Amino acid sequence: MASHNAEIRGRSFGDRVLFGLVILLALAMAGPVLYVIALSLKDNKELMVDPHSVFHMPYTIKNYIDTIGTSNVFSWVLNSFIVAGGLTVLTLILSSLAGYGFARLNFPGRDVLFVIVLLGLAVPEQAVLIARHQIFSWLGLHNTYPGLILPGLSSAFGVFLMTQYFRAIPKELDEAALLDNASRFRVFWKVLLPLTVPAQATLGIFTFLGAWNDYFWPLISATKKEMFTLTVGIASTQQNFAQSQGIGFLMAQAVFAGAPILIIYLFFQKYIVTAVSGAAVR
Amino acid sequence: MTLRKLFLATISAATVMMASPSFAATELQVQRFFGACDADFGKNTDVSKAVGECGIITSLINKFAADNPDIKVNVTTVEWPGYDQLTAQFASGDAPDIVTIHESALSDYQSKGLLLPLDDLLKTVGVTPDQFTDAAKEGATKDGKIYGLPIDNWTMLYHINMDLFKKAGLVNADGTPILPKSPEEVLAQAEQFKQKTGKPYFVQNLANETALFTRNLYTYLFQQNSDFFADPKKVKFNTPEAKKVVEMYKAIYDKDYTTKNLDYAGAINAFLAGEGGVQLNGTWVVGDYNAQSEKPGTALNKGGYAVYPYPQLFSGAKAQYADGHTWAVSKKDRSPEQTAAIGKFLKFFADNDFEWSRTGHLPAYKAVIESPKFKALPHRDTISAIATLGKPLPSAVQRQFAIQDIVGEEMSAAISGQKPVDKALADMESRVNELLANL
Amino acid sequence: MADAANGNARRAKSVDIYAPQWRNFLFVAPYLFIFVAFLVFPLFWGIWLSFHKADTFSSGPFIGFGNYARLFRDGIFLQSIWNTFYFVFLTVPALALIGLFLALCLNRQTRSAAVLRTLFFSSSVLSVTIVTLIWRIVYIPDMGLLSMIYGFFGAKAPAFLSDPDIAMIGIAIATVWWCIGLPMMLFLSALQQIPQDIYEAAALDNANRWQTLRSITLPSIKRTFVLVVIIQIVFQFQLFGQALLMTKGGPNNLTRPIVLYIYNTAFQRWDLGMGAAASEILFLLILVAAMAQFLLTRRKADA
Repeated sequence: MASHNAEIRGRSFGDRVLFGLVILLALAMAGPVLYVIALSLKDNKELMVDPHSVFHMPYTIKNYIDTIGTSNVFSWVLNSFIVAGGLTVLTLILSSLAGYGFARLNFPGRDVLFVIVLLGLAVPEQAVLIARHQIFSWLGLHNTYPGLILPGLSSAFGVFLMTQYFRAIPKELDEAALLDNASRFRVFWKVLLPLTVPAQATLGIFTFLGAWNDYFWPLISATKKEMFTLTVGIASTQQNFAQSQGIGFLMAQAVFAGAPILIIYLFFQKYIVTAVSGAAVR
Repeated sequence: MTLRKLFLATISAATVMMASPSFAATELQVQRFFGACDADFGKNTDVSKAVGECGIITSLINKFAADNPDIKVNVTTVEWPGYDQLTAQFASGDAPDIVTIHESALSDYQSKGLLLPLDDLLKTVGVTPDQFTDAAKEGATKDGKIYGLPIDNWTMLYHINMDLFKKAGLVNADGTPILPKSPEEVLAQAEQFKQKTGKPYFVQNLANETALFTRNLYTYLFQQNSDFFADPKKVKFNTPEAKKVVEMYKAIYDKDYTTKNLDYAGAINAFLAGEGGVQLNGTWVVGDYNAQSEKPGTALNKGGYAVYPYPQLFSGAKAQYADGHTWAVSKKDRSPEQTAAIGKFLKFFADNDFEWSRTGHLPAYKAVIESPKFKALPHRDTISAIATLGKPLPSAVQRQFAIQDIVGEEMSAAISGQKPVDKALADMESRVNELLANL
Repeated sequence: MADAANGNARRAKSVDIYAPQWRNFLFVAPYLFIFVAFLVFPLFWGIWLSFHKADTFSSGPFIGFGNYARLFRDGIFLQSIWNTFYFVFLTVPALALIGLFLALCLNRQTRSAAVLRTLFFSSSVLSVTIVTLIWRIVYIPDMGLLSMIYGFFGAKAPAFLSDPDIAMIGIAIATVWWCIGLPMMLFLSALQQIPQDIYEAAALDNANRWQTLRSITLPSIKRTFVLVVIIQIVFQFQLFGQALLMTKGGPNNLTRPIVLYIYNTAFQRWDLGMGAAASEILFLLILVAAMAQFLLTRRKADA
């Protein structure tokens, strides 16, 4: 990270103003989250009587205990993990195979098929949602994990990314292995695939986050509460505050819901950042 | 793992599975709205301790499950009114067994052949339509058959903070609140209220809301004998009667006689905190508000809580908009055990309608509504008239909830000044007719 | 020796390894199967649906452009197109500019910069329904964080989610809070691609900070700027969760974006045909945006 702008030198008035602005923005970023955490640590009844009580003692972890006892947050998080994880693994496999196929191998109709796949990039989810919903009804795929994973698997983004990446690898590596009588698959598996780890990371992270955050499709497909993903589950708690368990409890659920992904983010920051920046270097 | 080990493992697993008890618990998928309150009532089976719709229905279902260990009840709570989800579930062949459906929405599903007619099933458990109140029977009957077990009828009410009313001088000598008898009186009394208490007369949930507006409009159209749904496929909203109603509410809004910007939860909290005189809400909060009014130190406890039907503001029919809740059963291939379990569930709710009526809803059974036990519940004396006042839309009107959204949107736009009243009514009419014409 | 080895190799591989072979198709077959079954087929099925009168439970007669005609007669649909454009106008410039600002300020090696970068990106990993929950609580009139902050200064907070004039702005603020991470990251990585020497040369020429920014930094990241704008336009065009959960599309349909309209039409009004038609129109609009990107970057590459 060699990046020393002239801006670093000197602590001028302008510097302080900019610094102040950044701090202000940082407060705006952190404020709502801290507020939610504070709310989750207050007794529901106390909040109903005086909302300002969130700013001072007493704090309690009762809401967290109640959440562990009665909330469905854990099943929602688990479902999201299964769907996002499953989709990520399958996407990496299918996209790598197809990417290699399009980049390195020749078969009848290859170029035409690749253009068609590329066109698939332009199709937004909403253009196919309604039809997919009908089709999945016929196939009985609603309220199943495959039903939540298959739509994402059809995205062309992964194939596009992997094809580009494979294309960038020098052909000499292939040819050296092929001369040693390796099969196509072996070339793929032993030689080229290990070289694509950065692309795999990028693809994996984007796919995981995309699936984790998906709301529209699970909303209309996973309608049974056992199958609720995190997005649908949290949305279902939001609707009618008066008929719910109280704001403190809701916030505790939200904390449980947001914590896993935030923890993952904090641990894998470096890789996520590299992966995301990698996408920009195109 | 070697092939042999794998084979043995599979055999033993299969044996274990086959050795499980020959009867498995019958499973019922139940779906309902009414809110989620597992933190407070999640395990409660003592129904008499429960308060409010959520508490009582959760406790009732818990009790049913406890009384019937051979039936496993799987409850899903959905956001009110839950019809988007229900339709999606029916479309994917995945509908719950028993689901709460409003009487006004029953025909939408019944007309597509998605619901089970319940006459025979109910007869086997000893429930017959003549046990229902007239309103309940009419609401649950479509094409001559019963399609939902009615559990209540509900309507909108004037929930009153008597302490503020006393301050405003709006109380009769006998302690009953003074209620307006015409739109002009509404505005006059609201003005008086504002002068004397400094607070808005009405506490309304105007944000993120459509139902309240629609119910208000229908009520006052009924009271002007406006037959706006004479043709169930073509509505007439662009009428002088409708204009009168909308203009009245608009005046209330313009003159700050009502809270603004509150959503449903906010309105309830505001009323309980004493922020206004009259909350326009329904029968379902009578139990909750009454419980609050018995707690010392609360705003309702100070001067008391009273509840009345909507005032008669026009010289037409004595009526106000009403609807009801039912348990409907999806049409599916079922084993006799499952059908019997459903019958038991329905009978349980028929037998416990008194407990459900503690919410404030009107019971759906003659025996309950005429019982001294029910009549002795707090505040039922002041609202007993709703049994005859309550009036739904003609049952041939389809998609009443979709219509409710359109009416509510347009009325909200007119009241908040976003659109001129005439344009809002015209748009309301054309949008509803467009919907009904394209069913 | 080499000749012998080559000779062996040539005898073993008498076939051109780059000739088309059906066997190679196996690599792309699994993906293509899913692609055709779950993207191509539904795409055409959706188009077919849009020309028919279809509801959730049955397919009706062919009605040609009937659904499309009804769409364009529906004031709410036209409003939703306007709303979507308005929302994109509110969020995309803000995301690009604030993202750039943060990247410029935080592009340094200090620990505090690293912590701040982490903070600004963390909101992006949260899912949309958590974000709406957080911001609804913040916006609650008289009780939420915003009104408490305003109250601290003795003022009354604007009722973001129920005031028709600022409801969309309220959603936009929550969205910018949510999405700021990615633009910032993209700009950061672009800034780090700029070679050191250029800056040193500028310093030697006594260029001040503003001149450096204008003549060196900004032109170097132009491509990334366009990328950020296009990505955000396509993403924000698909606004759904925030509108559904924070305002339900109200008040008075002023915060109803196209995707929410599609959801309402197809899954609340059960009018699948018209919903499909609306989604085809959304598809066309996004296609136009994507085409615009393609042409823009094409032109820049040629320039």
